[in-house]
Amino acid sequence: MIPFFLRVAHAFLAKALNAFTVLFAAATLCFVVLQLTPGDPVLAILGGGSVNATPETLAVARHEYGLDRPLPVQYGLYLTRLAQGQFGNSFSQHMPVVDVLRSQAPPTLELMAAAFIVAWLFALLSTVPTVRRRWFGPVASSLETISAGLPPFWLGLLLLWAFSFEFGLFPPAGTRGVLSIVLPALALGIPLGGFLAQVTRESFDLALDEPCVLTARARGMDERAVRLRHVLRHALLPGVDLSAWGIGALVGNAVAIEMIFSRKGIGRELFLAVSGHDMPLVAGIILFIAAIYIIAGFLADLLRRLIDPRLKALHS
Amino acid sequence: MVSAFFVWSLRRKMTRRAVPLAMAMSLLSVAGCRQHKNHKEATGPVSGGTLVYATDREPVCLDPHVHGDMPQVFVAEQFLDSLVAMDKGGKILPWLATDWTVSEDGRAWTFHLRRDVAFTDGTAFNAAAVRANLDHIANPHTLSSTAGGYIKQYVKTDVIDDYTAVVHLDRPYAAFLEVLAQGFLGMESPVALLRPRDENCQSPVGSGPFRVVHWDRQNEIVLERNPAYRWGPPTARHTGAAWLDRIVWRIIPEASVRFASLQAGEVDVIDSLPPEAETPAQHNPDLWLLKADLPGNPTNGTLNLRREPFGDIRVREAFVRSADIPGALSSVFFGHYRRAGGPLSPSTPFYSPETEHHGDYDPDRARLLLDEAGWTARTADGIRVRNGVPLQVHIPMRSSLSASIRTLWEQVQATARATGFDVILENADDTTVNDRESRWDYDVRVGYWNTNTADVLRIVFSSAFLGPPGPQGGIHQNAAGYSDPGFDRIINAALLTTDPEERQKLYTQAQEIVAAAFLQITTYPQSTRMALSGAVHDVRIEPSLNVTSLYDAWIAR
Repeated sequence: MIPFFLRVAHAFLAKALNAFTVLFAAATLCFVVLQLTPGDPVLAILGGGSVNATPETLAVARHEYGLDRPLPVQYGLYLTRLAQGQFGNSFSQHMPVVDVLRSQAPPTLELMAAAFIVAWLFALLSTVPTVRRRWFGPVASSLETISAGLPPFWLGLLLLWAFSFEFGLFPPAGTRGVLSIVLPALALGIPLGGFLAQVTRESFDLALDEPCVLTARARGMDERAVRLRHVLRHALLPGVDLSAWGIGALVGNAVAIEMIFSRKGIGRELFLAVSGHDMPLVAGIILFIAAIYIIAGFLADLLRRLIDPRLKALHS
Repeated sequence: MVSAFFVWSLRRKMTRRAVPLAMAMSLLSVAGCRQHKNHKEATGPVSGGTLVYATDREPVCLDPHVHGDMPQVFVAEQFLDSLVAMDKGGKILPWLATDWTVSEDGRAWTFHLRRDVAFTDGTAFNAAAVRANLDHIANPHTLSSTAGGYIKQYVKTDVIDDYTAVVHLDRPYAAFLEVLAQGFLGMESPVALLRPRDENCQSPVGSGPFRVVHWDRQNEIVLERNPAYRWGPPTARHTGAAWLDRIVWRIIPEASVRFASLQAGEVDVIDSLPPEAETPAQHNPDLWLLKADLPGNPTNGTLNLRREPFGDIRVREAFVRSADIPGALSSVFFGHYRRAGGPLSPSTPFYSPETEHHGDYDPDRARLLLDEAGWTARTADGIRVRNGVPLQVHIPMRSSLSASIRTLWEQVQATARATGFDVILENADDTTVNDRESRWDYDVRVGYWNTNTADVLRIVFSSAFLGPPGPQGGIHQNAAGYSDPGFDRIINAALLTTDPEERQKLYTQAQEIVAAAFLQITTYPQSTRMALSGAVHDVRIEPSLNVTSLYDAWIAR
């Protein structure tokens, strides 16, 4: 028998090693990809090929950002600094990467949280009352399939045009106030909600055939209670698993949504950083996103254990 | 500042708590949109109020000495003053410098300065401040690509007394005053300049009508009135402090969203008005328009002489004449943009109208020229061929180009095809395009150069700007690869004289030479285009670089 604390320590170490590998791979890929993209970062820093900078200025910029050193040295320095938690200074923003993240991450996280709530509300409202219901079932099911297939940027443009340009219900741009987050959150949340609803619908359908449902009905429980108390619990698991992936998809789609709605955030910042060859900033944002992925996976794991008592039993 | 920040953070807190609430509210909501009130017939300027200005690109650094891109100078105009000003006719007027003289050899400029000017951090403006600013611009560590490039001739500044400074250049530079009038070379507090560059980028300090109080990246820059201001430029409509209490400078990259924000009353002024919004804006009684063409080398495609097919002047002329620019301007820009046919925009000092029509659309002549140049055979789909080589024109298109300019080049592609050119538009991100340009890997480079002096011809066409030799070339401003000793002589001679008539004569010759060499397809002048709420009055375009000035602006709500 392995003592309990060792098992916990082992599980924790495995997770940590996993997370570390992911972060290392993300950092390395980031470096390699930016090196492979053609173009001179110094020209990007100084504003393009038509700049009138003196050769001295170019040389100083090259030296200041360490771009005059051989590639392996640059890579080594880059990894060492990251390992020490030093993200360095953004070339294009003229500020420490950490400060950029501190100012740009909260609006993106708010947007993701709002979109995530929209997605789950949509998934639950669309499935729980309609599975195996004569008319509502197929209608809701098609609606889910359509939603899952909508590209968020396209939905965003549509919502923007309808509710902002035509009806004037929401501000068309910006990161100010509660109203400004509604349309972007819907654009991001509805497609994800479609996916969540599809898997939830399937598992809900299966769970309705579980023996416990029969037992509950035999006990005289009414349909609503059966669905909410017994079936839903079974049906949630695949959706929770999918949510970890969904959070990653939200970050990716946030790039386009933040551009369309002129919201501040790390998505828009990432786009600017990549087009400006801003290595430290790209690395900082990518690692931040990788960390979100890892945390989301971890949370999904935890939540699954809470929902499904069988998993607890399996491990203890 | 404190109160603005408080309200802002309060709103943000609400955002975090109230997401579900927002969904409920969305069903009821018509709130949140401030409509443009019908502007009362205001009798005169009113003090107070906040003006919300929305623009497309965020500056990378608020100090315009660093890098030096247009978005920087637009903000800088609100909080920096310059040594001299320039009026619409290109005449240099005193501003922070009351008068000046230039030595016999043209290398020493003596400036006498105003004595009552202070920066908003309390530092006095004096000769030492002028020295600190010019040194800062010329210092390679400032990473100045615009202002620094304009004063490559700078050697040092001598402080004669508190209010007299002598600027030494290594050669005569007649365009010196013109570049000094640009916001890129605005005067900043020497005390603030002592801070590290990146810190100064966040909160530069000037002596202008407003001061920077807050910069929320990707969102807005907040400026507040400088109550002590009484040294406005001679081009302004009033003296004393600005009317507005505050400016909120918002970043809204999407053009259609920017225009919608103006229509919804979320913002008071937008710039970079997209061409497709110009007619609706004209017809909206609550809005008015303010436009000015920028001086310099207009928006163009520069032909690369260093490789075929454009090594041959006949092919260059054929290409220029096969592109129907007026047709494209009327279809893509709905006729709102004027043609700029010569190497200088008409608003540039010493512009010569003689060159305006040198390369007008003439497909018949284009065909004749291609025949003469030996491109006589044709492929099945009408592309000209010589010695088995098709007549291809490769144009890298950087991702930051606007949709309208892309469409413009698609029109050029279509009309040039009728003559037998196979124009290939190659989309790529900005850094890739920079890389190709630095390696001379293009037939046409799409670009422009905004500056307020005809000396731009020297930067864009003289052999001093060809960059380092060799296949790896590197950075070069003379995108054509044009090198003509006769032209170099004239353009350099124009810097040696401060006599306006002599300069006019030399710059006219220079324009004629480059026009006759068919180095560019010029299309339209770069322009500042604003749409404004009817409640906003007296927004002005400062003529030195035609950027927005909000010093005279006021709001009647």
